[in-house]
Amino acid sequence: MQTPTATATGFARYWQYRDLVRNLVAKDLKVRYQGAALGFLWSLGNPLALILLYDFVFTHVFRSDLPNYILYLVIGVLHYNLFSQAISQSCESLTGAAGLLQKIYFPRILVPTANLIFTLALWVVAILILIVLYPFLGGVYHWGLLLYPLALALYIAFIWGLVLTLSVLNVEFRDLKHLVEIAVMFLFWLTPIGYDLNTLGTNSRMIVDFNPLTEFMQIFHSLLYQGTLPSLSSVAIASAWTAAALLLGTFLFRRKARGLVEEL
Amino acid sequence: MPPAVLVEHVRKEFILRHNRAMGLKTRFLALFHKSKRERREHFLALDDVNLRVERGEALGLLGHNGSGKSTLLQIIAGILEPTRGRVTTHGRIAPLIQLGVGFHPELSGYENIFLNASLYGFRNRDTQKRVKGIIEFSELQHFIDTPLKNYSSGMQMRLGFSVAVHLQPDILLADEILAVGDQPFQEKCHERIAELRAQGMTLILVSHSTQQVQRFCDKFVRLEYGRLVETGDVKKNSPDATELSINEEG
Ligand SMILES: Nc1ncnc2c1ncn2[C@@H]1O[C@H](COP(=O)(O)OP(=O)(O)OP(=O)(O)O)[C@@H](O)[C@H]1O
Ligand SMILES: [Mg+2]
Repeated sequence: MQTPTATATGFARYWQYRDLVRNLVAKDLKVRYQGAALGFLWSLGNPLALILLYDFVFTHVFRSDLPNYILYLVIGVLHYNLFSQAISQSCESLTGAAGLLQKIYFPRILVPTANLIFTLALWVVAILILIVLYPFLGGVYHWGLLLYPLALALYIAFIWGLVLTLSVLNVEFRDLKHLVEIAVMFLFWLTPIGYDLNTLGTNSRMIVDFNPLTEFMQIFHSLLYQGTLPSLSSVAIASAWTAAALLLGTFLFRRKARGLVEEL
Repeated sequence: MPPAVLVEHVRKEFILRHNRAMGLKTRFLALFHKSKRERREHFLALDDVNLRVERGEALGLLGHNGSGKSTLLQIIAGILEPTRGRVTTHGRIAPLIQLGVGFHPELSGYENIFLNASLYGFRNRDTQKRVKGIIEFSELQHFIDTPLKNYSSGMQMRLGFSVAVHLQPDILLADEILAVGDQPFQEKCHERIAELRAQGMTLILVSHSTQQVQRFCDKFVRLEYGRLVETGDVKKNSPDATELSINEEG
């Protein structure tokens, strides 16, 4: 019979625990939906309601003249939702797992990572709607779509870096969650989700351009909405943000993870 | 052969925070209000502790409440970092600081077995091979598909203990967990521990009962306010079960 080895190093040390991540995610799914398959559908209710609301706001209040506006909006809202849900949950992922962390050793990074995967699992259902509705909303099929998984992977890596950062910081600053929630609310309006970047004035454009999410949205809109390849500058800037987030997150985790336990 | 556990000059300081500033808001207020500022105090939980446990040996860890026994186990298990000093271990460690770590009340006993085992680094398919033995040992066949919240506390401990002793660790760190369940089950647990010991498992046992240490351990140490004050061999077949022989080792 195979037993876990004590001396695994590097990546193997994390890989050995892959079933822990799987079990943690399965636990969260079960606890959240109590095994009811219908409950899973509720996770769709939120993005759908948001899309209807924003559609109303942007077409009737702000008057957007983008063609296939709903498609533009759906792409933006769904991808922004992934960000906002992952980020809001990340704050409490380590502090919420205090009971585990104080009793047994396992790579601590797996806790926030499992949380992100849980968010992703719910989000996949939402993205399935997009796939089904894609042709009806005016989406075009083109070879560039094959790049979408890569773009998504980049985005997830960026989010992962932030999730790690916030989960560590929240141990020290327990009210971080409230700040993050406010930031997530503001960021929505500073990201080209319901509006087109080119319609902005120079001042607001400068602020919006500085938002890392803007570049990711541009990439998703190019691929899924305009049916073109994303501009190289967007890809380069998004990659730079991803690298920065990953560096910060893993650096903080390395520095702090061991000492965190007694602060919980 | 290197020892299973080697603890060298381990020191552990905790920071006791009075008036702990938990968030950004209180920290900000503290800039203006002196009374809101946090005061820190260093607390020495372990002071220059040295230990050597050979493979297959069993060590009893005695000491009053707050003497640092659990802290020492947490450091050996890698949960806490020592402030100074070093811990080297050989073999797979299963810390039993608490039974049933990670058990979730909404999951069934069966699902909790897998979750708990994976915390110890087990793949689900390896747990699968043991799950029958675990359930049998816990004698909870009828309840195994019931959510854990409907278990009595003794039943939860039974399940936790069964998982732990079926994971075949090389080193078991047991923190006051040998009083599980009712009398017959306790007997069964003790037998199982003895069986694992016979197979060569190293054991560090924290206990307040000298009888327990007498029964399971070859050696014992006593902690007092974070210092090792007594080291000795357990005299087997002693007429008085409460007596441990003492060899001062420097
Ligand atoms: N995270 C922490 N922060 C501050 N102090 C701590 C922390 N953990 C433990 N201590 C302190 O360290 C000391 C030793 O605690 P420990 O739990 O090791 O005692 P113990 O010997 O296991 O006691 P018991 O017999 O009651 O289980 C205690 O005074 C405790 O208050
Ligand atoms: Mg203790």
